[in-house]
Amino acid sequence: MVKQTILHDEHVKLGAKMVDFAGWHMPVQYTSIIEEHKTVRESVGLFDVSHMGEVIVKGPDALKFLNKLVPQDISKLTDTKAVYCQLTNNNGGIKDDWIVYKLKNEEYLVIANASMVEQDVNWIAMNKGELNVDIINESHNYSMIAIQGPKACDLIKDIGVTELPPFFSIKETELLGNIVWVSRTGYTGEDGVEVILKNKDAVELWNTLLEKGVTYGVKPIGLGARDTLRLESAMPLYGNDLDENTSPIEAGLGWSVPKDKTENYNGKETITKHRQEGYAKKLVGFKMLDRGIARHEYEVYFNNEKIGVVTSGGVSPTRGDNIGLAYVKNLDNLTVGSTIQIMIRDKFYNAEIVKKPFIEKRNK
Amino acid sequence: MKENMLCTKTHEYALELENNKFEIGITDYAIEQLGDIVFIELPEVDTEFAKNEVFSTIESVKAASEIYMPISGKVIEINEAIVDSPELLNDEAYADKWLVKIETEANQVELADLMDYSDYIEEVK
Repeated sequence: MVKQTILHDEHVKLGAKMVDFAGWHMPVQYTSIIEEHKTVRESVGLFDVSHMGEVIVKGPDALKFLNKLVPQDISKLTDTKAVYCQLTNNNGGIKDDWIVYKLKNEEYLVIANASMVEQDVNWIAMNKGELNVDIINESHNYSMIAIQGPKACDLIKDIGVTELPPFFSIKETELLGNIVWVSRTGYTGEDGVEVILKNKDAVELWNTLLEKGVTYGVKPIGLGARDTLRLESAMPLYGNDLDENTSPIEAGLGWSVPKDKTENYNGKETITKHRQEGYAKKLVGFKMLDRGIARHEYEVYFNNEKIGVVTSGGVSPTRGDNIGLAYVKNLDNLTVGSTIQIMIRDKFYNAEIVKKPFIEKRNK
Repeated sequence: MKENMLCTKTHEYALELENNKFEIGITDYAIEQLGDIVFIELPEVDTEFAKNEVFSTIESVKAASEIYMPISGKVIEINEAIVDSPELLNDEAYADKWLVKIETEANQVELADLMDYSDYIEEVK
C-alpha cells in the first residue's frame, strides 16, 4: 500500500501533482520544477520530507554500536552535533546513507532514506549482538519539514525560533507551543533548517510557514526540484549514485571516512584497501558540451571505449546547462577537463568532466 | 481548430491543414503532464515515418518521452522556434506548438483508431 504523509491533503489542496515515490504518495511539483528550484536558490522553499526515517539508538552501548555500523567516527560527535555517514555492508558497499545526531550522552537520532529504513532497522538489529542498546523506529510518529534557501533562517526566526543551532547541529526547542527538533541541515546546498516534529503538530507548522513566509517569497517545493537542487550541489542520492556495490571511497565520500578511526566496522577491510591500494571506479561530475540531457543509466565513453554509466543527470536551472554524475573507470588520464561522450538514444554527445559541486556552496 | 484534432491514446494529435497535409503535435494535456519542457529533438525534413514510429523526443526536467507518429507520412516542415526555445510549449500565450508538418498518403484505415478531440478529453479526464 502506498503511504501518505500527514501533510498529504495539504499538498493536494495546494494543487500539487502527486506521484508514488519510495512507497509514498508525494508531491513532485506544485507549479513548475524550474520555478520551485529558483525559489529555493533565491528566497525560501518548504519541503515535506516526512517520508524520511527517524530511528533512535540509545543505551550504554549506543556509541560502540553505531561505530560498528558506519565508517564515520561517531565518537568524535559532541552533544547536539550531526554527521553525514554511510551504513556499510560487510564488503564495504553502501546499504544507505544517514545523518546521525548525538542528542545527548548514550542517545542518537538517525535520519535514514524513506525506502531503506525498514531494511536498515533489520540490518542493525542483526548487528546488535550482545550490546546493550535500544533501536526504536520512530518514523511513523514523526514528520519532517525542510525550510531551505537564503531567507530560510529569517522565516524560522520570525515564527519563534530566535536562536538557531549552528551548521550540522540540532536543537530541541519550543515552536508554536510544541517541542520540536530544529536541525541546521538540508539537501539543497542552501542555508536552512529541517524541523522534526510529532505528526500531530506538522499541519499547523506547514500552514504557519506558508502564511508567515509570504513576506519572504516562500513556496512549497516538490520532489522534482529537490532532485535538481541536490544534483547541482553534487549530493548523492541513494539508489542512483550509491548502492551496495559501491564503497564510500569510490563514491567520492572519503571525507566522511576518517583515516584515524581505530574501531572495527562493517566493510572496513575493503574500504581501507580502496583507500590504500586504489579502486576500479570513481564518481565524477560532468557538464554537457553538446545539446542533450544525460539520464540515469546512460552509457559513458572515452576514447571510443565504454568506461562507465551515468547515475544522475538533468538540467541545472541555476547554471542554465545540463549536468550529471557518472561512475567511470578510475583512469589516470580521466580528470577534470577531459572530454567524454554520453550515449543518448544511440548517438554520442560530448560532455566535459568538471569539479563537484556544480555550484558554489551557500551553506556554512 | 482543436475540435478537428485527431488524437492518440499516447497524447499526440494530427490536424489536417489541407489535402494530405497534416500538422503533428502533442496535446495540451500531455504538455501539462510533462511539466517544464527543456529539450525537443525533431527529425530532418524529408524523413519518412510509419504510423506509430517514434519521430521525436521531448524532455521535461524529470524525464525523456518518445513521441509517436499518429499517421504515416513524410516531414515537410519542422517547428524550429520550439527547438530553439522548448519552454515555449509551456507558455500558455504561445500558439504555435506543433512539432512537424507532414505530407501523407494515409487512408481512412490509418485514421480509424484516432479519437476526436472531444472523445480524447473524455478519455484523459
